[in-house]
Amino acid sequence: MISVIGFYQTKFGELWEKSLFDLVEETISFILRENQLSIEEIDAIFFGNMLSGVLENNLHSAAKIAEIIKKNIPIFRIESACASGGVAFYLAKQYLEANSNKTVLVIGAEKMTDFSPEEITQALAGAASGDEQEVGLTFPGAYALMANFYLQKYHYSERNLAYVAVKNHFHGSLNKKAHFQKKITLDDVLKSAYVAYPIKVLDSSSISDGAAGLILTNDRDLLKKTKYQVKVLASEMATDSISLMEREKIDEIKATKIAAKKAFFSAKVDQKDIQVAEVHDCFTIAEILAMEDLGFWKKGEGGKRVKDQETMLGNGGKLIVNSSGGLKAAGHPVGATGVKQIGEIYLQLTNQAVNRQVKNARFGLAHNIGGSGGTAVVTILAS
Amino acid sequence: MIGIVSYGFYLPKYRIKTEEIANQWGKNPEEIKKSLLIKEKAVSSFDEDSLTMAYEASSMALSNFNDELSKIKIVFFGSETPVYAVNPTSTILAEFLGIEKNYLALDHQFACKAATGAMISALGLIKSGFSEYALVCASDKATAKTHDALEYTAASGAVSLILGKKDVLLEVVDYTSYSSDTPDFWRREGIRFPSHGGRFTGKPSYFTHIISASKKLLEKNKMTVKDINYGVFHMPNGKFPQEVAKVLGFSEYQIKDSLVVFFLGNSYSASALMGLMAVLDKAKAGDLIFFASYGSGAGSDAFIFKVTQEIEKKRQNFSKILTNKKYIDYATYLKFMKII
Amino acid sequence: MVSPVKIWRRQKKIRQILGKKGKIITLTKVYVAGSDFKKYAPYYLVLVELEDKKKIIAQLVESEDDKDLFGKKVKVILRRIREISEEDVIPYGIKVKIIE
Repeated sequence: MISVIGFYQTKFGELWEKSLFDLVEETISFILRENQLSIEEIDAIFFGNMLSGVLENNLHSAAKIAEIIKKNIPIFRIESACASGGVAFYLAKQYLEANSNKTVLVIGAEKMTDFSPEEITQALAGAASGDEQEVGLTFPGAYALMANFYLQKYHYSERNLAYVAVKNHFHGSLNKKAHFQKKITLDDVLKSAYVAYPIKVLDSSSISDGAAGLILTNDRDLLKKTKYQVKVLASEMATDSISLMEREKIDEIKATKIAAKKAFFSAKVDQKDIQVAEVHDCFTIAEILAMEDLGFWKKGEGGKRVKDQETMLGNGGKLIVNSSGGLKAAGHPVGATGVKQIGEIYLQLTNQAVNRQVKNARFGLAHNIGGSGGTAVVTILAS
Repeated sequence: MIGIVSYGFYLPKYRIKTEEIANQWGKNPEEIKKSLLIKEKAVSSFDEDSLTMAYEASSMALSNFNDELSKIKIVFFGSETPVYAVNPTSTILAEFLGIEKNYLALDHQFACKAATGAMISALGLIKSGFSEYALVCASDKATAKTHDALEYTAASGAVSLILGKKDVLLEVVDYTSYSSDTPDFWRREGIRFPSHGGRFTGKPSYFTHIISASKKLLEKNKMTVKDINYGVFHMPNGKFPQEVAKVLGFSEYQIKDSLVVFFLGNSYSASALMGLMAVLDKAKAGDLIFFASYGSGAGSDAFIFKVTQEIEKKRQNFSKILTNKKYIDYATYLKFMKII
Repeated sequence: MVSPVKIWRRQKKIRQILGKKGKIITLTKVYVAGSDFKKYAPYYLVLVELEDKKKIIAQLVESEDDKDLFGKKVKVILRRIREISEEDVIPYGIKVKIIE
């Protein structure tokens, strides 16, 4: 059995004093220290990062990490746009399946605030196809096209989207590591400026710095002595056409559907078993589509279901979604996101989520998306 | 018979009113309108240039071209604002139009008569058997310094003509050219906006060249202005073409349909041809059209055209596109012209 | 520098699609644009299904005053596509315009 036995997250936000590799270093040293492990016990590192190649001309970051840890182990840098962290986890699990009695680190990190919004917008657009970049499609623009299609098709308004932001910011207010820890109202969301109609500033995840790390192991001896551990029941990945315009449907993310179907099948659980989920809410519409595509809600119902706020803590719902604040409030340091999501589920399933703890959580799901839906990773964990 | 086989034009959607510009500079708009006789001008958007407009006009011309594209072996582009200083616009145009590689491409430059000079070259090449057809396009996104007299007139637009011998709608009866070294308007290498000689652009320049070319052509063809149905002259403003027409003996009635400068401004190499486009809305088979361009520097190309029956099959609707317009303010104008 | 070779290759693709017609399936108006597009913002982007069923995304021009753009018929046109250095080769590309 492959298990997660440790999690560390830096504060997400505007971390002016820290470089990308400062964040990586902090994550590695804290996660090892907190779990009383030494670097000698780590067999490989899987590093999720999207933008440093484009923004900082910083490739070959695996060797940079080797320099930090002063070790000569295999290190892999994984780039899958916003799913870089999720895919790093997926590959780490594959690695452990092929190698017994090993322990690996999954690290995700991103440094975004060194750059202007235009530079970041242009760099994030690198997750879209050349044809899409050529016409000026931005990352929010791609989700805005989906959002507008969805709202039109199912007769919802921008207000329906806004509920997601209100819920996730409430959750963010309970998370000390979140970029934003302030509650917001529906009105705040609706009055915020457009980024790409109908998506507004408060419908969007932020430009954040941050890193997160997980320890993943199949070492029996280590598992015996570890206090907090959760089982990885499944981690499945699917891809789809990078271009939105080449997809079959505009109001669903097929990669999510495929990855979810496979994950539920191999985990031998179904949607009703999940009590806590971190879903990819880079924009409010993305959480609605994710809930539908993961099979929690029926297609087209999402706009209505979000209004009831049944997935918000304290409302007595059977499934709590994005208790960390999601990408929306916790922040979205791209490469770190997928790792943080699994980390949040780990905290919930090991009862370490303190003031945002979901009661009696036994099964949790993390869902990470790359680009506008070109990559999806769905991971199911159990206490 | 040789002449124009098909034609197309393009006008950008945006207009700026003379008042809007005049008010920026504390000028009396009524005075300016009275002296230039231009009430508004056509402005292309920031993503448009002489090539994109040439493409639009040429696509329209090709929509009425019923022969094989491969028979067009001449692509001439006349402009004062080509998209490159070095690198032909004509080849970019041909590429997007899908004209295959076996053609002669040339960019022509002669202020506002770049394209009419190109027409004369093309007619000669067709007569010599070099090609069955020629595509000649005039396109300009004319620029002007801010707070210059040209700011009220310099406009955008494109006209495209396919010349040939088959199914001619506008027969070229005859043509002539008159040139001299008269530097009334110029723009040097690396300089963004043109300069001009003020009133020197009038009598010794515009008038002398058009009148000389026109008189010569009429004489040569033993015609008087009475034989002509429509007169079309280059339109740097609203006044000059009316005055030159008067000197040559044309009546107001003969030229009024061509005076699009009042509401479109001066689209430089496309300016006189734009007047021709307007006239073709009405012209009937058998009508004679007298046409004279003017290019600073200076020269005038004069043509006598005769309308044929073909016009009924290939007539475009010029007046219709005039109604699709939107007014912009001065700041937007500066943005569209990439001045800010 | 934008590679002139890339522009040269792309031109052939653009040519294939110019003049095609289709209808708007969904749209957005981009307010926050990337560096090369900042000068054009805000701009409409539309997802269009062409008559041959192929889908494209392109900027919609000249529709500042249009209401209810869903389902509107458009035509593919040629425009300048991004703002780059004055020293570079000019990249042309497709945009769309509403037709009656």
